[in-house]
Amino acid sequence: MSRHVKVIRLAVFMAMLMTAVGASTAMASAADFPATPPAPGPAPKLSVPTPSTQTLANGLQVISVRRAGLPLVTAQLVLHGGGEMDPPQLAGLADLTANLLSKGAAGKTAPQIAAAVEALGGSLSAAAGWDQSAVGVTVTTPKLPQALGLLAEVARQPDFSAAELKRAQAQAIDDLRLSLSRPTALASLAVGRSVFGDGAYGHSRSGTPASIARIRRNDVQHLHDALYRPDNAILILTGDVTPEQAQQLAQNSFGDWRKPAAPLPPRPVGMAASHVPAILLIDQHGAGQAGVVVAHAAPPRNDADYYVGIVANAVLGGSYSARLNEEIRIKRGLSYGASSRLQALGDAGMWLAAAQTKNPSAPQVVELVLGEFKQLGSARVSADELAARKATLIGSYGNSLETTAGLAEQVGELAIHGVKLEQIGKYIEQVQAVTPKQIEKYAAKHLDADGSKVVVVGDAAQFGAAIHQAHPHAVLLESSALDLDSTSLQPAAAASKIIAR
Amino acid sequence: MTMRLRPTALLASLALFAVTALSPPLAAAELSIPSIQYHQRTLPNGLQVLSVENHDSPTVSVQMWYHVGSKDDPQGRSGFAHLFEHLMFKSTKHMHAEQFDRLTEDVGGSNNASTGDDVTNYFEIVPSNYLQTLLWAEAERLSNLNVDEKNFKSERAVVEEEYRQSVLANPYGKLFNAIDPHSYTVHPYQRPTIGSIEDLEAASLQNVIDFHNTFYRPDNATLIVSGDFDPKQLDAWVDQYFGWIPKPATAVPQVAAQEPVRKRDMRYTVTSETAPLPAVAITWLIPPAADSADSIPLQVAAALLSQGDSSRLYQSLVYRHQVAQQVGADADGRVGPGLFIAYAILASGHAPAAAEKLLHEEIIWLATQPIPATELDKVKTQLLTSELKQRQTAQGIAFALGQASLIDGNPEHVNTDLAALQNVSENDVHRVLQKYVIGAHSVTIDYLPQAATSASAAGKGAAK
Repeated sequence: MSRHVKVIRLAVFMAMLMTAVGASTAMASAADFPATPPAPGPAPKLSVPTPSTQTLANGLQVISVRRAGLPLVTAQLVLHGGGEMDPPQLAGLADLTANLLSKGAAGKTAPQIAAAVEALGGSLSAAAGWDQSAVGVTVTTPKLPQALGLLAEVARQPDFSAAELKRAQAQAIDDLRLSLSRPTALASLAVGRSVFGDGAYGHSRSGTPASIARIRRNDVQHLHDALYRPDNAILILTGDVTPEQAQQLAQNSFGDWRKPAAPLPPRPVGMAASHVPAILLIDQHGAGQAGVVVAHAAPPRNDADYYVGIVANAVLGGSYSARLNEEIRIKRGLSYGASSRLQALGDAGMWLAAAQTKNPSAPQVVELVLGEFKQLGSARVSADELAARKATLIGSYGNSLETTAGLAEQVGELAIHGVKLEQIGKYIEQVQAVTPKQIEKYAAKHLDADGSKVVVVGDAAQFGAAIHQAHPHAVLLESSALDLDSTSLQPAAAASKIIAR
Repeated sequence: MTMRLRPTALLASLALFAVTALSPPLAAAELSIPSIQYHQRTLPNGLQVLSVENHDSPTVSVQMWYHVGSKDDPQGRSGFAHLFEHLMFKSTKHMHAEQFDRLTEDVGGSNNASTGDDVTNYFEIVPSNYLQTLLWAEAERLSNLNVDEKNFKSERAVVEEEYRQSVLANPYGKLFNAIDPHSYTVHPYQRPTIGSIEDLEAASLQNVIDFHNTFYRPDNATLIVSGDFDPKQLDAWVDQYFGWIPKPATAVPQVAAQEPVRKRDMRYTVTSETAPLPAVAITWLIPPAADSADSIPLQVAAALLSQGDSSRLYQSLVYRHQVAQQVGADADGRVGPGLFIAYAILASGHAPAAAEKLLHEEIIWLATQPIPATELDKVKTQLLTSELKQRQTAQGIAFALGQASLIDGNPEHVNTDLAALQNVSENDVHRVLQKYVIGAHSVTIDYLPQAATSASAAGKGAAK
């Protein structure tokens, strides 16, 4: 059982020599044991490998980042456009499309594709994010050409057979039933609608049972035609591969992928008016805990204050020692973990803080989270606290680059948002440059209390009345009355089921 | 099973195809996976020290593994070893509560810990200029733990929330938490690592002091250091900070219970108010992980059954028959008797019996019918690749060493299991499955959704 919610991987730092101190002899007794921790030597510096970029004649962008050492390579094909492209009544279409790629392609059946890629030691993973769809695999270097061959087949020539669509729909609906039975997962889904409203980021990216059931083969084919094309794609290769090898491998597997004449589809607007109550309580009778989620709208990825937001989030809830976990777990024992993240997307963004707590503690946790959001804009962060949280942020950024898969993900994030790839090496200086004054200003601008969106999912009999007392506008909804297909989350016909108390 | 520290993947140095990446088809050649060159020594007070030098990154992973786990929970105190793990981050004689976070997170590192049935491990990754600091801090909490009542109670509340999160609020938490209690009749493995709210509430500060005195001692611990360090400097610092800690005169208590061979098949039912779909889990007893002649073929059998979409259980239950939403098989090797586990979460409209029948059919088929060589090669390549992924980080290498040393019984397993995996044959898979699974008795757990109230699940009333 982990003490913390996550195990974090280690950082990549530039090699430095240890400063050897004089050899010590073993101490004879406890009395000789130092009462204070030994001071560290000089701090090492982070070094980040440089991405190389090329573009094939058909418009496919090829990015490679070399890390020799172990014979491993991660290959990711990333397409602009993901869940944001789902049509209004077809939530989950982009994700289902990505999932179906490997379920029959280029004359191979789904079992044949699985057997082929797994014989190479990898597995194809495909999913849609909000702004991108991606399919990828990690294999040992000698298996890379074959793995890329399979990657190209599933991305370029998927069958989308009726039988596989039906199977994928049934599985997706059961997946949804599983994830919606988790209080924080359901609360996070609801708060997305609350923040993004009718915008393209507001719906359930993995769909709803009803929307998944509505999807037809034509819908899948149409989305595939629109997004899966070379002039909309980025091939990322990280690990034991040179730029020259990357270029040739890409040419071999994707060079004859024809660019269609049709223009690329326009990108939708991410955020629009919301019809969800600012404080929504969802009764999941019998829930073992309450999931508390508090969210705010945030600027998009390319906002000039992006790094201020990243550092502000590090202070608020980005790690174990950040404020939310300090107040909720460490000081009060109210949760196994409280955290926040800043999701900066192409056209808008969201701050999302979450904690699970025993049902009767939900009202207290709501107030603590709201209080910490407010605090960020009303009092300046101290220099010590800021330095510590920046160090944590930089350390975990280094961690994320240590594996080939992590490196591919970071590079993909930059590429999909059109950020210059050299930024991968400038993260540290950008983080270090953020000042307490900037954070205060940022929080005052983006995190004012009026913009808070709260969703609590749990056994409402144990917290509904208390939250309603503190927030008379809070609305209680039975989980059975929740309509994930409605932009208000409440079916108009069943308005009588809504009880405010 | 879900949260517990899991066995690391088996190692393999398989014959692969050469790195001539640009001229397919590839020429056949050896791709050798370098063995982990670790250094081992034992201090006079019994502390085992394992180290692996690697200067690719100037970071260092420091891990303390203790031979104590939930099997050592005091009587009536299930979950205590895990609660204790949390308390090791509270105050010591020379450190205030959470100072470990100041020495790790605040300087760009990280820390965590986990408790299993057999071991408790504490692990940090820090910029390598903090190695000396962390060695001091680990020695400090081994020798000078000093938790107060306030921190004890507040951290116990955190652990109770962890219980609620992993067992009560996770729709399948109650199922996985029920596996050990129903699978063992005598051995203390029958206690779930997370314990129960009642037993956690019964724990006292005196229990903490006694537990530390009993199990947290140099001759019951292994220090693992992996990454960027100077070996001579490391030895000197280890001697300096750990060498003085006395070895108690008393012996470390050992679990003596012997789990008897099962005499008949057993069946239990567990219900859940929140699980949307039923599930079924079946377990069999397997020998200790140290018995690698059997435990490695069992790992291969589990991988044949459940690793990836091309695996036998996925193809049968999820793909062809579509009776299951998720399937899994695991050879959960432990210091004592372990478990071979197969499970399925049902697809909508199907009952556990349908999945149970197919699980048995696939296992019997695997245990008795020829296994294509390509399929055996496939799982070996899968296991090798996941091992390589783990070895990308100093921390991953340290975990592999800890597993080999404390669970598998000897650090050398980190390298020898490579060859052993490569040599696993169809006969080996048949032999172990026939001996421990189809030729032995099972425990079956049906997991059934059950509405929380008398109202039907579909038509819950709005008002309460």
